[in-house]
Amino acid sequence: MDKIIILYSVMFFFGIYFLLIFIILKFRNGKTIYDYPEAKKFPSITLITPAYNEEDSIADTIKALLDIDYPKGKKEIILVNDGSTDKTLVIMKKFAKNHKEIKILDKKNSGKSDSLNQAIKIAKGELIAIVDADSYPTKDALKKMVGYFEQDKDMAAVTSKVFVKNKKNFIEKFQDIDYRVIAWSRKILDYIDCVYVTNGPLSVYRKEVVKKVGGFNTKIVTEDIELTWNLMSKGYKTKMSYSAIAYTSIPKTLRAWIKQRVRWNVGGFQVLSKYRNYFLRENLFGYFVISYVSLSFILSFLGIFLLLRFFYYTIFKYLFTIPYIMQGYNPFIFMEIKFNLTIMLILGMVFLLFSLFYHKMALHEAKNNNIPTIFKYIFLYRPLYIIPLVIALYKMARKDVGWYTK
Amino acid sequence: MVHEIVTSKYRIFIETLFFTLLILLIGFLMGFLVEYGRTNKIVEYYREFEVDALDITLQNYYYQSMDESTCKETIKQNFIFADEIYNKGLLLEKYEDANELSDAILLEKKKYVLLKTELWLNSVLLKQKCEQPFHTLVYLYSQTDDLIKEAEQNSIADILRKIKEEKGNEIILLPIAGDLDLDIINLQKRIYNITYLPSIIIDEKIVLKGYQKEEEIKKYLD
Repeated sequence: MDKIIILYSVMFFFGIYFLLIFIILKFRNGKTIYDYPEAKKFPSITLITPAYNEEDSIADTIKALLDIDYPKGKKEIILVNDGSTDKTLVIMKKFAKNHKEIKILDKKNSGKSDSLNQAIKIAKGELIAIVDADSYPTKDALKKMVGYFEQDKDMAAVTSKVFVKNKKNFIEKFQDIDYRVIAWSRKILDYIDCVYVTNGPLSVYRKEVVKKVGGFNTKIVTEDIELTWNLMSKGYKTKMSYSAIAYTSIPKTLRAWIKQRVRWNVGGFQVLSKYRNYFLRENLFGYFVISYVSLSFILSFLGIFLLLRFFYYTIFKYLFTIPYIMQGYNPFIFMEIKFNLTIMLILGMVFLLFSLFYHKMALHEAKNNNIPTIFKYIFLYRPLYIIPLVIALYKMARKDVGWYTK
Repeated sequence: MVHEIVTSKYRIFIETLFFTLLILLIGFLMGFLVEYGRTNKIVEYYREFEVDALDITLQNYYYQSMDESTCKETIKQNFIFADEIYNKGLLLEKYEDANELSDAILLEKKKYVLLKTELWLNSVLLKQKCEQPFHTLVYLYSQTDDLIKEAEQNSIADILRKIKEEKGNEIILLPIAGDLDLDIINLQKRIYNITYLPSIIIDEKIVLKGYQKEEEIKKYLD
């Protein structure tokens, strides 16, 4: 069999396999997607927001933290100024003046992970909630999350659904879809206890457990993913409350988007490397999470290779004819469409159908969840993933990740 | 152990594996059926040339013994035959584009190339008997995957098609795959000193290597 057909088959196999997992789980559990355990007694909680030069968003974030509905006297807010050089600290102090529950930890710049670890040390709450300085949890978000901790002593982290705050241009609109797809798929994985990312905009952790596993890792750029994997590898549980919502500011430009996604990819590579020994071992984390994430990367590279190959065989073929076109040759002969009903085309169609179905389900809450939008998302936005992925790989190869960490 | 897997959260992975394999199996089966059907169609189509092959052998016997008085009628029949073979060839080309060249197709293709070569040699004989009443334009091309060569060949084929449409019964156009390792083709390549494919042989005298402008080819036909 042709090597390329084998590559396509491998890609289709895993692609269809993973899509089917989500589709089957959704059909079995979909009715309970918004369910969450009601909290009977509310444990004390410390909301921690680290900030570095966040003068544009910090005020709204603090307002959102203050507005969160939680029993009086059980909510503490720690704002960490990580050596900001703008007016972040001034804004923090302004709020702290009028609200006793706010504490400010002003320190030299040492990075997000270290800021969080220092804040955890002084936090009084039984639970800690991490909220990014450009994120805005809704009023009822915490109440829809803390109940999970009452259910199970091994429950270490509960994450929320993230929606984007600003969505005007192309890149923002498609990030909105992206976040919705991510949130939905994360909730689906919740049904098999495989929530492998607790996001930065709003996640709640059991403080003692976080301390026990060593807190946030200062050497890994996606500290939230690393902590989640650390917890899962030690047998702790992580969950997602699909009803708890946090809004977040997203990159407005392609350049900023690439920078953010490079960080995510670098972080992904780092945690994969760190936890590689758990591959196919012990629990679902070893058997599924690591396999799923590593295969996602491998399939992405395979996709890049096949895409480049496709361009080579179509665009280049066209380019090679330019000398002949100049001699009067009709170039449109190359534009003849041949509908070859081959094995790969059939499998490709099946994959596309499942993919459309998956995205349609994932975007059940979105206003723009029609097929053309999904097509644009799959064929215009998703291919952009290649750029940060390749840059991340290049940076990893050059061990150039210092600019993300302190 | 099996019971544990079936009743645990791992069950979803086993179930999904089963469904995925089932989908892939159905996909492969459907694909193979379609591919198999199409390959058979090409092979069958090539087999239709078997009668033509016998026909052309008999034509050759006749050309050797014919006299000049039947030239007009014989040339007319030769053109009808050649055009038929050429047009069938164009249709086959489209089928072939959509398929891998399997061993079964390759064997039939070789027979088809031999048939065209025989047609060429017959036409040469006819020209000698009837004092050069038409041109033969043999286009020796390569069965290649090389992109640049493919573009070059597509360009030449397009130009030759135009010339044939324009000149009609003034020329016999014979596209022949020149690298199928057939002895008679190898012999012709040696005779005409053809070391590069694609090449065009005009009236067994002129050999043009690679891409040529329409005017350049026409120059030898006027």
